[in-house]
Amino acid sequence: MHHHRRAQFHEQVNSWHHVWSEAILSFVLALLLLVTPVSAAQMRLQDRSLYVQNNTPSVETSYTVSFRYMSPESIGSVSFLFCVDPIPYHECVTPPGLDVSGATLVDQSGESGFTILSKSTNHIVLTRPAGPITSAMSSYKFDNIINPSNTDLSFSVRLRTHATPNATGTQIDFGSVKGQITEGILIETQVPPMLIFCLAEEVADNCASTNETFYKDMGTLEPATTLSAQSQMAVGTNATGGFAITASGIPPSAGTNVIEPLLLSTESKPGSNQFGINLVANNAPAVGIDPQGIWANAIVASDYNVPNKYKYVSGDLVAYSPNVSLMKKFTVSYILNTSDELKAGVYSTTITYIASGRF
Amino acid sequence: MKRFQSILVAAFVLLAATVYLLPVSSASAQSSASLSIVPRKNYTIEPGKSVKDTITIRNLDTERPLELSLRVVDFTYSDDGGTPKLMIAEDAPQTTWSLKPYLKLPKNVVIEPKSSKSIDIGVSMPANHGAGSFYSAILYSSGSSEGGNVGLSASGVTLVFASVPGEVDQNLTLKNFGAYHVAKDGKPASYVYATMDIPYTIGFTLKNEGNVTESPVGSITLKHMFGEETVINDINPNKSLALIGQERTFAACIKLQSQDVNFNGSASQTKACAEPSLLPGLYTATLDMYYGQNGNNTKDLSSTAHFWYLPLWFIIISVIVLLLIAYFVWRIVSKVRGYSHRKAQPKRSTRRR
Repeated sequence: MHHHRRAQFHEQVNSWHHVWSEAILSFVLALLLLVTPVSAAQMRLQDRSLYVQNNTPSVETSYTVSFRYMSPESIGSVSFLFCVDPIPYHECVTPPGLDVSGATLVDQSGESGFTILSKSTNHIVLTRPAGPITSAMSSYKFDNIINPSNTDLSFSVRLRTHATPNATGTQIDFGSVKGQITEGILIETQVPPMLIFCLAEEVADNCASTNETFYKDMGTLEPATTLSAQSQMAVGTNATGGFAITASGIPPSAGTNVIEPLLLSTESKPGSNQFGINLVANNAPAVGIDPQGIWANAIVASDYNVPNKYKYVSGDLVAYSPNVSLMKKFTVSYILNTSDELKAGVYSTTITYIASGRF
Repeated sequence: MKRFQSILVAAFVLLAATVYLLPVSSASAQSSASLSIVPRKNYTIEPGKSVKDTITIRNLDTERPLELSLRVVDFTYSDDGGTPKLMIAEDAPQTTWSLKPYLKLPKNVVIEPKSSKSIDIGVSMPANHGAGSFYSAILYSSGSSEGGNVGLSASGVTLVFASVPGEVDQNLTLKNFGAYHVAKDGKPASYVYATMDIPYTIGFTLKNEGNVTESPVGSITLKHMFGEETVINDINPNKSLALIGQERTFAACIKLQSQDVNFNGSASQTKACAEPSLLPGLYTATLDMYYGQNGNNTKDLSSTAHFWYLPLWFIIISVIVLLLIAYFVWRIVSKVRGYSHRKAQPKRSTRRR
């Protein structure tokens, strides 16, 4: 009885074994058939580059596109599609101002024998009798291309190779090259970026006027009292990178005696030597005003943004905007505390606020 | 006669004092501290060639002249953002990417109230100069005040970038990529892998180990666990740069909002992150990035990252739903047990009998 059952089991397993082997074999064959052409079509052209002879906006110039063919396939055409975005599967938006409809192919090296089959505002197709790749690294120079007009956007050339003579059907290799038009010396049609900055004890929101007071006498230093003062600065920019304001200068000193600055964001403590600033409204002591202006992206740096906590490190960023910012007014609060041990003298400093663009 | 002499002496002293004091008071007068400058200049200069340009500075003050001293200072990065760290000390060492030896400009400029002046600048690159990116800053300093405990001085800076074409070393490596919270309300910026706050940006941190500044382009595709896709078409809309040696974080808005604004009488456009409409759940972000200089290879980088967006309301609802399911399961199990128990009890009692 047992022997009979074991024999039946072996027979069953053996038949499954055959079925599984055949199934796996068929699956692998199917994979090979399906995957091989797909992977060939997915290869990226390597060592891709674009050389724009004159990268001033809107001028007529020559472009040289170079790349290395990767698939050992027969090539009959190459497509050059000029778009803002380099990603091949995204919708192509023509770079503003670019025009390649007058392009001429003036030089080719490596894989050659190409002529221009068709051209439009943002598309060139090169064609030749389909032939195998013999020299991988190739270069194509086009004259009479009009550069994009917009320096804010980079642009790309999406490349595709095909076996067909008219850039249709399955692509063989693909890839993109990146180009950039830089600002000319004079661009009359564009509003130049500007950074507006003013500083005084009191300033108007738009920097049109100040109270023309550029120093503050904070009074007599006494251990029990916190001396305070405030100044204002207004800033704005139409530069896409925004602005940054840093504060620099030595802390208040009299000869070789220095009132130590607060290197960390700290509360005011009368009786100890402290010099610090912040850019918000405080009540200990009552000094300062929160930033004024509706523009939300111009902000105070985090270390100088805490009410009743002060800090001063020369060279620190105190306010910034990551992009275009209309005028915003910042009020800087200063505090001075002294200990009994501080030597007598007239303690003074000059704080330089530097407004710069960002990169 | 004596009286006449006394009057003459007094008049002379008064005149001398006036002559002596007038220039002093004029010299010590504080300059205006209201200026408008161009924040950034970019040039492409071939070795052995030069570029001549003008920079316009405007004095916004209606009464005082703007007296500026100009000098070239080097700068580098201060963190993983775009704030320049200016090397303003007179004895600061020259950087390897400095434009100091090649940038020429006047040392001083005085601009009358409510007017502007264009100053000539020139950048000359020597022949056989190597290719790469070179940058420094023009520092415009107004005079410092005299008196008081705290004096104020305003300065402006123009960042100057020059690109010398040729074969360059381009090398960006991806250090981090994922959902990114920018610094806000005292909290530092950070990458997040699970967040209750909706992420406004997807960040990527690049280390620039080449000899050129790089401005990457490309896209990020954000895919929800149930298949919904959001594409960030422009990962660097402000054309921000990774400086030489910098580990730079770029924060790309998931939803970018553009707004036309009027800045100082001219039309401008600002871009900011708006709140994206994201469903709670697991997201997969895919980065496709390109970079490269004119005439050099275009290089690409790609990466994938995952993050969970689990808002508090979703967690609360999920917990309530789970509790309800648990409760109903418990009720069903209890009912089934009770039913089985009731069914089993008569049998037992029969057996006993």
